[in-house]
Amino acid sequence: MGVPRRPVEPPSAEQAAFLERAIQEYGKATYNFAYRLTQNDADARDLTQDAFIRVYRAWRSFQPGTSFLSWIYRIVTNLYRDELRRRKGRFHEEIPEDNAPQEFGGQRPLAVTPIEDYVEGQLSEPLSQALHLLSPEQRQVVILADIEEYSYQEIADIMGCSIGTVRSRLHRARALLRRLIQRTQQQR
Amino acid sequence: MNEHLTTNTLIDYVHGELPSAEDALAHTHLQSCTECRSEFERETRLSEALRFAAAEDERELPSMVKAEIWQAVRAARPSPYARFATWLQPLVAVPAAAILVAVVYFASPLGHQAPAPLTVDASYYLEQHAAEQMNPLGERNVTPAVLETSDTGRPDPSVGSRTAVAAAVDAVE
Repeated sequence: MGVPRRPVEPPSAEQAAFLERAIQEYGKATYNFAYRLTQNDADARDLTQDAFIRVYRAWRSFQPGTSFLSWIYRIVTNLYRDELRRRKGRFHEEIPEDNAPQEFGGQRPLAVTPIEDYVEGQLSEPLSQALHLLSPEQRQVVILADIEEYSYQEIADIMGCSIGTVRSRLHRARALLRRLIQRTQQQR
Repeated sequence: MNEHLTTNTLIDYVHGELPSAEDALAHTHLQSCTECRSEFERETRLSEALRFAAAEDERELPSMVKAEIWQAVRAARPSPYARFATWLQPLVAVPAAAILVAVVYFASPLGHQAPAPLTVDASYYLEQHAAEQMNPLGERNVTPAVLETSDTGRPDPSVGSRTAVAAAVDAVE
């Protein structure tokens, strides 16, 4: 991404070992998380690289016994948010959260069950497309809650927001996903 | 619970995020309500579909990314602060060492013997003052009441006090 990179101190042996192990064990997960957020290989690579340089710089602040993955996801989230602010929406076709469909309340959605069709087969692409249409925050919540299977509290910690915000974003995101999937199904 | 579960409640239930009491109620309701169970299964399938899609699209970390991280780390020059700190080291170290040596030297009893403090008996000054007050000429006693009798050049308090007292007695008589 276009973030100017500050100089990094030359590595000490201990710091280098920490970075090597972090990349070895969590590089793939971090890259996949970044890719799901950005939906773009070049941006995902830059985001991953910047995240590990941050890890390298702040390696002493990592507390052993805590989840490294949560820590680096938080770093990725912050970098992604900064980048989105910098690009001011030129990065994605975003659906503003305020315009997201409202909750169904006690009523049932009219959709049949197109999700079953996806589970049985060709689901990757339509779901990816649907995910891409969510706002970045909604997409993040869905990725963390449903793909990474974090608790609401963990997601709140990673995203730096309240549990209530996580909950409402997830509710809206899933309602929107259902609607988008239904629309895709009808277009076939 | 006769009312249907809301979609939001079902989403929280699917994610195991309902408080235990509500979770138990939802669980009980789902046993008996076909409509809510159908909705619950729909929500569960959406989560499964998302996980399945993510697993299908799982990617390896491009080797270039790792290489670029290491390149960024290794090729980096020290920050301006680090360079400044290196340059500053002799300027700070030399005066600090000098101060340390001086402190050790003066603080140590082995460093040097301090001269014994001069002590003068206070009565000497009192007696001399009394003699000056009793001078009948009203002049300051030009002749020092203190006689330097010792070899060291220091006043001999005993001689001085004796002379001054005798002069005072003579003046009264």
